[in-house]
Amino acid sequence: MALINIENVSIIRGGKSVLTDFSAAIEPGKITAIIGPNGSGKSSLLGALAGDLPISSGRIAIDGRDLKEISVIEQSQLRSVVLQSRNYWLSYTTRELIEMGQGRDERKRVDSILQKLDMKRFENQSVTTLSGGEAQRIEIARALIREVDIYLFDEPLSAQDVQSKARIIALLKELRDKGKTVLVIAHIDKSSLAWCDQIIDTLAQ
Amino acid sequence: MIKKIVPLILLLPLISIVALSLGATDVSQLLRHIFNPFLNPDSTSHQIIWQIRAPRVAAAILVGAALGIAGSLAQSSTNNPLADPAILGTSAGASLGVLIGVLTNLVGIGSAGAVVCAAVGAMAATLLTFSLARSALQLITIGIGVSAILNAIVGITLSAVSRPDARSISFWSFGSLSLVTTKTLYVVAPVLVIATVIAWKSAPTLDLLSLGDASVRHIGHNAQRIRFVAFGILAVLVAVTVSSVGSIAFLSLAAPHIARYLCGPRNRILVIFSGLVGALILLIADTAARSLIPPFELPIGLLTSLIGAPILIATLKKSGDVWR
Repeated sequence: MALINIENVSIIRGGKSVLTDFSAAIEPGKITAIIGPNGSGKSSLLGALAGDLPISSGRIAIDGRDLKEISVIEQSQLRSVVLQSRNYWLSYTTRELIEMGQGRDERKRVDSILQKLDMKRFENQSVTTLSGGEAQRIEIARALIREVDIYLFDEPLSAQDVQSKARIIALLKELRDKGKTVLVIAHIDKSSLAWCDQIIDTLAQ
Repeated sequence: MIKKIVPLILLLPLISIVALSLGATDVSQLLRHIFNPFLNPDSTSHQIIWQIRAPRVAAAILVGAALGIAGSLAQSSTNNPLADPAILGTSAGASLGVLIGVLTNLVGIGSAGAVVCAAVGAMAATLLTFSLARSALQLITIGIGVSAILNAIVGITLSAVSRPDARSISFWSFGSLSLVTTKTLYVVAPVLVIATVIAWKSAPTLDLLSLGDASVRHIGHNAQRIRFVAFGILAVLVAVTVSSVGSIAFLSLAAPHIARYLCGPRNRILVIFSGLVGALILLIADTAARSLIPPFELPIGLLTSLIGAPILIATLKKSGDVWR
């Protein structure tokens, strides 16, 4: 049985329909990619799955439960979300930002994640001085230190160099091998997504 | 951190002594009276220093601290370096509240009643901005709008009324510490202490807002609720300052930036540093305002700008990475 069921979902943003009647079933314990060109509504779909955007029709269910009926706190224990990186104006350090709002267990995992994502050398550097790819890895690290069942990524590889891409893909596979469900939004073509178990094209429907 | 906070704390009494010794009148045996508050309580020197100057020095410190803290709450809660209580509509709301109270003869300027009027006005205006805005950025744009409307109403009312006390109201609306009495302190001091404690307690949640509202939600917190608490404290702080000394320009914007340069962005420590920096700038500005061309008083808002702005520009130039 699918873990996440997206049933006939439509999303309207600012009066414009960005996703119409979209359905997909995300299998548990797999890496699934949702692909499509710019403007095909895949980021909006991730927003809806993360509970940030309302859907205008249809239903999203996680483990059989309607997402609308799952509280914000319960959602936070169920899934981790990686958004595209943001601009920071406050000079928190990389480490401070990763640890922000996290519990004691999560903070224990920071060191190993910093190591795996090659972030040790800028862990005490101000986030205002980081490159786009480095800032994006902060979002990834924040999500990965959380122990949840579902991980949602919005274009996690878009600003990364070749080595970092390989590191991140290895980490996603590690999650899958632990039985976690990984969902990746990407606008890259299918040929470079060999590491994914399931590919859903938003345009194919 | 201690290396930086100790000099700031030591500067306060030092500048206070300078502030007590400067003024329109020459005082005999100045330092002896300053260092011994119980010497000849009936003498003119004692009265000038301890009845006239001391309450004003204390008020400058308390009001400056309150405005500095209010500024840090405004910037952290909107996650925007341009925010301050004047931009969010809070100051204008407080002004209008006091103005209505005074013109309807309900309260006098500087009284506890005026604080209540200011608090109601500040809360109402802040709540209006808060309820109209859908995002952190909209808080700024809608706040500017709310502010402009309320300030216009205050300005038009002040020009339209022909009451003998209208002049003192308009003097107050530009900000001045000359109307401060010991009674003002009894109102400002406890409110400041309580607000600072609450601000300090809720500071770690304010840090979260720099992650962006969606990420705050993803880890199970509610950004709007965090903001709501900050706005509540901010409105109360602005209310006590506006009702006692009017609206003082620029301090709330500059103090947190200077503080952040000294102590970094973490809100727990930023609240304290912003208060200290605000207190120091207002104390220096007010001392200059009343002693540069005695017996005339310069408008305090101009001096806070003149002193605060160069420090602000210098710190931002030097820190470099804050405004990228």
